[in-house]
This record gives sequence, C-alpha cells and structure tokens, in this order.
Amino acid sequence: MDRNQRPRSLLDSLGEELIAILTPVSICMFTVVLLVCILNSDPSSSSASFSSIATAAYAESDSDSSWDKFVGAFLNSLVFVAAITVATFVLVLLFYLRCVKFLKFYMGFSAFIVLGNLGGEILVLLIDRFRFPIDCITFLILLVNFSVVGVFAVFMSKFSILITQGYLVWIGVLVAYFFTLLPEWTTWVLLVALALYDIAAVLLPVGPLRLLVEMAISRDEDIPALVYEARPVIRNDSRLVQRRVWRERRASQNDNNDIENTANRNEVGRVVRSIDVEEEHVGSSERAEISVPLIDRRPDQAENSETFLEGIGLGSSGAIKLGLGDFIFYSVLVGRAAMYDLMTVYACYLAIIAGLGITLMLLSVYQKALPALPVSIMLGVVFYFLARLLLEVFVAQCSSNLVMF
Amino acid sequence: MTVAAGIGYALVALGPSLSLFVSVISRKPFLILTVLSSTLLWLVSLIILSGLWRPFLPLKANVWWPYALLVVTSVCFQEGLRFLFWKVYKRLEDVLDSFADRISRPRLFLTDKLQIALDYSSQLHAAGGLGHGVAHAVFFCLSLLTPAFGPATFYVERCSKVPFFLISAIIGLAFVTIHTFSMVIAFEGYAKGNRVDQVIVPVIHLAAGMLTLVNFASEGCVIGVPLLYLVASLTLVHCGKMVWQRLLETRNQSSASG
Repeated sequence: MDRNQRPRSLLDSLGEELIAILTPVSICMFTVVLLVCILNSDPSSSSASFSSIATAAYAESDSDSSWDKFVGAFLNSLVFVAAITVATFVLVLLFYLRCVKFLKFYMGFSAFIVLGNLGGEILVLLIDRFRFPIDCITFLILLVNFSVVGVFAVFMSKFSILITQGYLVWIGVLVAYFFTLLPEWTTWVLLVALALYDIAAVLLPVGPLRLLVEMAISRDEDIPALVYEARPVIRNDSRLVQRRVWRERRASQNDNNDIENTANRNEVGRVVRSIDVEEEHVGSSERAEISVPLIDRRPDQAENSETFLEGIGLGSSGAIKLGLGDFIFYSVLVGRAAMYDLMTVYACYLAIIAGLGITLMLLSVYQKALPALPVSIMLGVVFYFLARLLLEVFVAQCSSNLVMF
Repeated sequence: MTVAAGIGYALVALGPSLSLFVSVISRKPFLILTVLSSTLLWLVSLIILSGLWRPFLPLKANVWWPYALLVVTSVCFQEGLRFLFWKVYKRLEDVLDSFADRISRPRLFLTDKLQIALDYSSQLHAAGGLGHGVAHAVFFCLSLLTPAFGPATFYVERCSKVPFFLISAIIGLAFVTIHTFSMVIAFEGYAKGNRVDQVIVPVIHLAAGMLTLVNFASEGCVIGVPLLYLVASLTLVHCGKMVWQRLLETRNQSSASG
C-alpha cells in the first residue's frame, strides 16, 4: 500500500467541526480585543458613559466603595436579567401564536439597526481615531448599503455562506464592543448572572428557551433567530425534504434526539446549541443504521458511534450551530479582560475555548439542548481573577529580571 | 517604539512557531486541538506555580538564590506535569485506535493501529510541544509587549545594550525551540522506554532555566543568551537525529512488508 495514495485518514477529519466553530469564535474575540485596544488607548476620547438598561439601577462611579459597587452591579444585573426574561417570554408567546412573519420582520429590523446604528458609531470612532478623510454623504451611502446587504445575507437563504457568516460575526463584534463599555463591576456580575440565567432558561421545565425549543420541534419549524451555522448547507428544496425525512424517522423511533437550538441575538445571553448528530436507538444493542443527509455524504451510509468522541466531530455528520448571544458574551468577557492587560486576555481566551470544548462534549453525551454560556463564562471569570491576582505578579517578577523557564 | 517594532518583537519570539503552525498544524484539525490543550495545560501549571509562590513575592531585587529556588521548583513541577500529559495522551491514543478499528469505513482507510503511530505521532508530539512553547512565549514575552507599541522603548540595567523587549523576545524564541523539541524527545523516550531520552529532557529544561539566572550578573545576558541558544540547538539536533532514525526504521519496515 503506497502511503502517498492514501486519502484522508482518521486524524485529518478528527475535530473538524469543533475547529469550524472555534474559528469564528476566535475571530470575533480577536476583533473585539483589537477594537478595545485601538479605541480605548486614547484617554482623551473617552466615550460618554454608556447608559442602557444594564445601568438603569445604578451608575458606577469611581468614588464609591467596593461594597457599594458590588451591590449596584448586582442590582443592574437583576434588572437586565429580568428584562431579558420578559422579552424571551414575549418571544415565546409570539411564537406560540404563530406570528412568525412578525418575528422575522423584527429580526431583520434589529439586524439593520445594529449594523447601521452601532456599526456607524464604531466606524465614526475609527475614522476619528485614524484621521481618515471621508465625507458624510459617501459614508452614509456606504453604511446604508452595507447594512441592507447584511440584513439580506442574514435572512435570505440564497446568499453565499461566507458572507452570511461574516455578517453574523460582525454583528456579534458590534454588540460585544458596546457591552464592554459598561462599568467594570457591572460587566462581571452581569456575565455571571447571565450564565446562571442561561442554565435556568434552558434546563428548567418552565424555562422560556426550553419551551421555545420544544414548540419548534413539535411544529417542525425553525425558530426565527440569529444563529451561526458552522457548516454550509444546501439551501434548496431538497434540504427541506431531507430534513423532514430526518425528523420523521426520529419521531418514529421515539428517541432522545438532537434538538435544534437557536438563540435570539437580541435577547442576548440566551444560548442554545445543537448538533445534528446521528441518532441512537435506545434499548437496542445493535447499532442502528441511520442516515443524516448532508451535502457531501450520500444517504444511508452513516454508522453509529456512541463514544464521547462524537463531541469533537467524529460523529461525522453534525453541523454545529451556535447562537449569536454566545459569541457576544464570550467577546464581552475577553474585551473586558483586554482593558486590563494582554495576559488576562490570553488566559480568558484559553478558558473560554476549553469551556466550549467541554460543553460540546457534554452535548454529545446528553444529546439534548444545552446552554453554552455557563461553563465558558465561569471558567473565563475564574481564570481572569486568577491571572490578575496571581499570575501577573509572578510573571512580571521573573521576566523583568530576565529569568525564565 | 512603534507598531512596526512591536509586531517585529512579537514575530521574533513567535515567527518560527507561526510558520510551523501555518504549514503543518493548520492542515489537521486534531493538531490544532492538541496545541490548544497543551497551551491550556501550561497555563494551568503556571497559575498553580504562581499561586504557590505568591506569599513569597515580590522577591528582593539583587539576591539571586530565591530565583534559583523558584526556577528549580517550577521546572520540577512542569516536568511532572509532562509525565502526566503523557499518560493522558496514551489513553487518548488507545481510544482513538479502538475507534478507528470499530469504524471500518472505506472513506477513512484507517484500520491499522500502526499507521497512527508511524505517520502522525511525531506531528502530534511536536504540536504538543509547540503549545507549551507558544504559551511560554505569550506569557513571558508577548504579554509585556504592550508598551512596545507606543513611542518609546525600555532598557533594563542588567542588560543595557539591548532593549528589554528584544532580549526577552530572543530568550522566548530559544525557549520555544526547547519546549517544542523536548516534547518530541520526551514522548519518544516514554514510548520506547529509553531511559536516556526520558532523563535528558528534564535536564535540558533545568539547564535552560538555570542559564537564565546568569542574566543576573551585570551584562550577564551577553554570556547567558548564547549559552541558551547552544542548549536549544542541542535539543534540535538530538530531536532531529531521533526522528531521522525513526524514519529510516519505518521505511525499512514498510519496504520489508509491502
């Protein structure tokens, strides 16, 4: 057997899907860190305090004591989480009443507002920072065009997948950058509160996200929301047919299956993911032959495998979907770490990636909708504080004396 | 100094690893995962070490023996972790082998356990070592580079000929080399049970750490850094010899069997 002729071996395809989702998350985080470093390095251009619903209860100022700041941040997060819960329940209600068109219109409208308004603000800040010569009318024309293309890319399914993914990442970057402008204590407490809310919303029986997902499954519909899909899918009628076949087979087999989870960008912080993995026939020892149609595989070829390695893409057929809220809050954490030092950025980045990997493995084990925020956010926060308190002193001591190991 | 200088310093420390990453590692997703997990492991070991040493810091400026103690404990701890990493890697390899055996898909063409070992193990080991090296370079060198993007530069008294950023980038490059290749040597040693290889890696690591202590002397970096590069090139040569031998072995093996 000539080695040169051997096609892709096991190691070539291992973990491919995990990398396919890690790349956009990394790009989003990197862009936010870059924006934070560029736009915050100039102290004279400190933006006015970002007032939003997240600072409604308490506006942090430097002169307060730590306890005051903590209580204020806690109140802020409570208000924010309450607002998100209410909004999510409204979404569930609308979905229940089958106002899908209205929801789609609202999603498109909010994407346009984010791209136009927030994107415009960031671009103005960048133009100001780099002294880029451009006049208002050109800028406005370009911005409106960019936003409209973005709305189409996100909601029309006939666009090139690369452009759609790029626009989704860019929307995540914009929202994340504006969240990093929140005061410091509020940001950290808010992140932890959202991680806890996510667990509650997805795993509790009355959680709004769980209701949403169950309704979507029972009706066999898509939830209209902004979701990043890591694998290109054929956008034509055959896909719908194939999906129906898949769901029917699943329903007939009465299994515990992979659910489609989507997250609404606007209701940030809700994260639900899915992985379309091959199904397992519960209660039977032989492996079921199931076909999960995808673009580059012929049907009726897949074989089942129940090891944990499915989580890292060995299952061979999954398209991993990650809600845009995940992107946003990971980037908020890393952006906030960037405001302190680059060492914390790297530590938090590794922690978030590790958390994402763990969550994906849990997903393959439990085979149902799981929140993607908690593990990563908790690891990220822990690593941030460890790096800030312990690591920095140690490393600065050593390397300023040129002692390394 | 400027953005260009800052990027230049970063590339001095990480340039070879970046090219290694782009050419070899980015092709296979599993190698990327290996790099990320070994970086994470190194970070965790560094955090634990800094936690242990935190009560004793900051150390006095001109006394060198606390630093020696610090280096010795750190190196021992990290070598112990390397052995643990080997155990985990062994178990993962077994799982992968059994998985490959079970999945007899024509598309994979991989049922031979030997193939994983022969084709990819040195790439895997190098990826693991690269993770360690990159983590070292990022935490000891890159994280302090932020002032280098500004308008000025910084010199330390002990090494006054060269900007601080440049000398730390150069030391970082040496350590990246050492970490990357000593991982390959160590795992080969553990796999074959070769005592010499197993012992030589901690010795190299310790020697390299101790050599940086030479920087304590005034203008010590003139001696310390070239010696460090000597150690790094020794590691490179030893690893190259080992891999070459292994390649010859497998070529003989495959020509004998097929």
